[in-house]
Amino acid sequence: MGLLHDLSTKYKTLSIVGMAKNAGKTTALNYLIEEAIDEGITLGITSTGRDGETQDLVTGTEKPRVYMEEGMLAAVPSLLYDLADAGLEVLKKTKYSTAIGELLICRVRDAGYVQIAGPVINAEQKLLCQDMLALGCELILIDGAIDRKTIASPDTSDAIILSTGAVLSRKMNKVVEETAHIVNLYRTPQMEDGIYREAITQNNFDDKIMLVNADGSVRKLDLVTGLGAAKELNGAIDEDTRYIYIPGAFTNSVISDISLRNLKQVQFVLKDPTKIFVNAMDWGIFRKKGFRVSVLKNIEIAAITVNPWAPAGYTFDNRLLLSEMQKAIPDIPIIDVRM
Amino acid sequence: MIQGKNRRLANVKTRRETGLDYVMFSLDLNTPFGKKQLKEVRPYYPGEEAELRDELDRVEQMIAFVKQNQILTDKIQEVFMEVKDATLTIERSGAVTLSTVELFEIKSLLLQMRQLRKLTMEHEIGDYQGAHCCCAAEPSADSTASEARAEDVPAARAEGEAAVDTVPREYFLADTEDLLDELDPRRDRMNTFYIYNEFSPKLDAYRTKKKEYEQQIRREQKQAREELRKKYGVQLTPKFDIVVAKSHPDFEMIQSLEELEMTDQDYMSVTLQLKPTEKIYEFVQAAEELNAEIEQEEERVRELLSRKIAEKEAVLLENCEKMGALDLALARAIYAMKHDLTKPEIVEEHVISFEDGRNLQVEDIIREKGKTFCPISLSLADGVTMITGANMGGKTISLKLAGQIPILAQYGFFVPAKHAKIGLSNYMQILIGDSQSVERGLSSFGSEMEELKEILDKGQERSLILIDEIASGTNPTEGTALTKSLVDYLIEKPYISLITTHFESVTERKDIVNMQVRGLADCNFTLLNREIQHANRRDRINIISKYMDYRLYRVDSEAQVPKEALSIAAMLGINKEIIEGAKKYMK
Repeated sequence: MGLLHDLSTKYKTLSIVGMAKNAGKTTALNYLIEEAIDEGITLGITSTGRDGETQDLVTGTEKPRVYMEEGMLAAVPSLLYDLADAGLEVLKKTKYSTAIGELLICRVRDAGYVQIAGPVINAEQKLLCQDMLALGCELILIDGAIDRKTIASPDTSDAIILSTGAVLSRKMNKVVEETAHIVNLYRTPQMEDGIYREAITQNNFDDKIMLVNADGSVRKLDLVTGLGAAKELNGAIDEDTRYIYIPGAFTNSVISDISLRNLKQVQFVLKDPTKIFVNAMDWGIFRKKGFRVSVLKNIEIAAITVNPWAPAGYTFDNRLLLSEMQKAIPDIPIIDVRM
Repeated sequence: MIQGKNRRLANVKTRRETGLDYVMFSLDLNTPFGKKQLKEVRPYYPGEEAELRDELDRVEQMIAFVKQNQILTDKIQEVFMEVKDATLTIERSGAVTLSTVELFEIKSLLLQMRQLRKLTMEHEIGDYQGAHCCCAAEPSADSTASEARAEDVPAARAEGEAAVDTVPREYFLADTEDLLDELDPRRDRMNTFYIYNEFSPKLDAYRTKKKEYEQQIRREQKQAREELRKKYGVQLTPKFDIVVAKSHPDFEMIQSLEELEMTDQDYMSVTLQLKPTEKIYEFVQAAEELNAEIEQEEERVRELLSRKIAEKEAVLLENCEKMGALDLALARAIYAMKHDLTKPEIVEEHVISFEDGRNLQVEDIIREKGKTFCPISLSLADGVTMITGANMGGKTISLKLAGQIPILAQYGFFVPAKHAKIGLSNYMQILIGDSQSVERGLSSFGSEMEELKEILDKGQERSLILIDEIASGTNPTEGTALTKSLVDYLIEKPYISLITTHFESVTERKDIVNMQVRGLADCNFTLLNREIQHANRRDRINIISKYMDYRLYRVDSEAQVPKEALSIAAMLGINKEIIEGAKKYMK
């Protein structure tokens, strides 16, 4: 069977996350919908904000509406219901409101174009997905309205589809490198179960830096984030320290002042990979120095879509981009949405 | 006397100070109609005793219903929580054509009414599928029970109590099944809506035809795509286009294909699309024409349905009213159960008497601290009753309670007392110092006089006047005189007047009733003093209230106003020097 079938057996909800604005998220969404039509999979479509406008509200670039086939479910705000070209059966009026009316869950009765929207609050998105699954769809695609790379928090969906493309850089190798770096970060290993993980999760309620000793005891530092506090952090590490939990952003400055000996001795633990703000090159240097990191929850990447076209006007050779990307990331399916 | 709509039993301040507002605010209402009715709820006046008794009987019946039918009650509330205010839509249905979303809302409302009829009249749980069909919290046992008739736990019924399995008849909704049939042509009673083909055979035909055209277009395109693949090895996307890089070895060949047309190009690549054939153009045009027909027919169906709804407008709106009334009655019943309220006895003569009454507002605060409210009993009739007693003796709370019980009763609530006998009043007012008058920039004496004037102006036959330490803010000579004169005035009137005071000579009048707070009179001072000595400042107040007996008892008119102010001040840690000094002056 096809790609969508494989995905639907593994996951229930997939977020489409863009590496940047205009990385081709909506194009990817349309591509996946077409695949689903061909494979006969009942999709549910929602968004992390209003989506599917013909004109992108932020940058003014073209943004097609989403074409949906009979039987699929869509989250539609009540004010946009009448604007839909598709025939929509109202299944439920939810309590989640958007700037353009309360959200309706609709079933497409007559195929056509639909403008999608969704709740802004993560918890509501989860409830909406539960509702849609209960109403009979097999797989839910969540589309983000803007570059959501930094807030693709892992608890909203089972896995993500990462959209990347020429918009990242005029140099193709740079696009491939940056995408591979993000994939690499998202797949940072999860901290293994055991006394250390337990020690961190049990004490992790006030967003403080925690040092975990070999015997599992926890010491909290009164620095809310590691930003600019690396010297104190380095001073706090003693020979018994094994793990350091950093609740906030993880930047170059957090580890720049950690001594080499300490860096080899301890393992850093982060909440999730979206907290990492270190570029590919520095990341490589730190790793060579012996820096080790794990996260409480990582992000699963179900597939990557590439878009060889950038709104600034330049394009890459699509076959070359695809093959380079696949070479860099061999174990994740990569799709050219414009092919 | 103001009659009709503008008639007012009590002013805003009285409603607030007696705790009526507090009770109303605490009610758990779930429908927009119930919330609206609570805002508009009006009291019962003298002459309406029978109606009030009926209302109280309904609350009583609701309490029995809730006690005996926990599952049904939960189900009713579940439906209530999903009810949305569609009254505007109903009212508009006559003038405009409703949108599909609005029709959906009406259909949901009709399904909710249908379910309520089952729950309230037929004692049946029914098959209603709420909008929140997938709440994870819903226990699975619930769904198994939902099919059968509700067999509620009979243990909840006390011995000798009659079985109540429906709510009072007044709350039964009118049948709207015929309108629901109109909006649900498939009769599957699903909470979904669309202009279904079943609404119109014409629509069905148009839509089927349109789908045929679309399939034909797609078939044509797929065929062309297949041919291209076979002939030239060119694979189009499911959207029937292709992006070809200019570096592609077959670029020239693909670009020159007649079946493809260029839609976009840049310096690296060209986007080509399947060129529509004449046949496809024909189908597209036919489908477009059908689209217009479909839209028109859909509108006709919506218009027809809107008209049907408009025909039923009166019934629907009345049902909404009834839902609100049921919501309110249910909230009253549940509140009464939670707070252990009882049904007041409504009598013709103007009396207010209750046994073991509890001030609900104060009780809630005290309960939070883990203590219990000391119940107060009081019996009042036309004439003047004075309350005197120790400071911190709860005089003001008792005064407010004397307002709370009758005002709740007149608004159709059960009351916080073991037993209460209430004769209805035409007018109620409480005169009490509050911080708001100070905020308005009035002196405490000034605002008191303002309110007193209101009492004197508005007082009418069968009034309840509650006055808390009037004129305590001015010199005792004039204050006493004023209070005495006020008592002289009130005693002649057909009012129930209750006045708290510290002025001694006021209580000496022959024909008034004197009540006194027991206070610390009977307490064990040795124990109290020992405890006070070792306590810190904040605890002292709590210790005194522990030893305080808040109950009221009747004394003869010669009884002295208790003088405990100095000893309480001493207990609270005021300097010995000051206390001894004061005692010297008393002699």
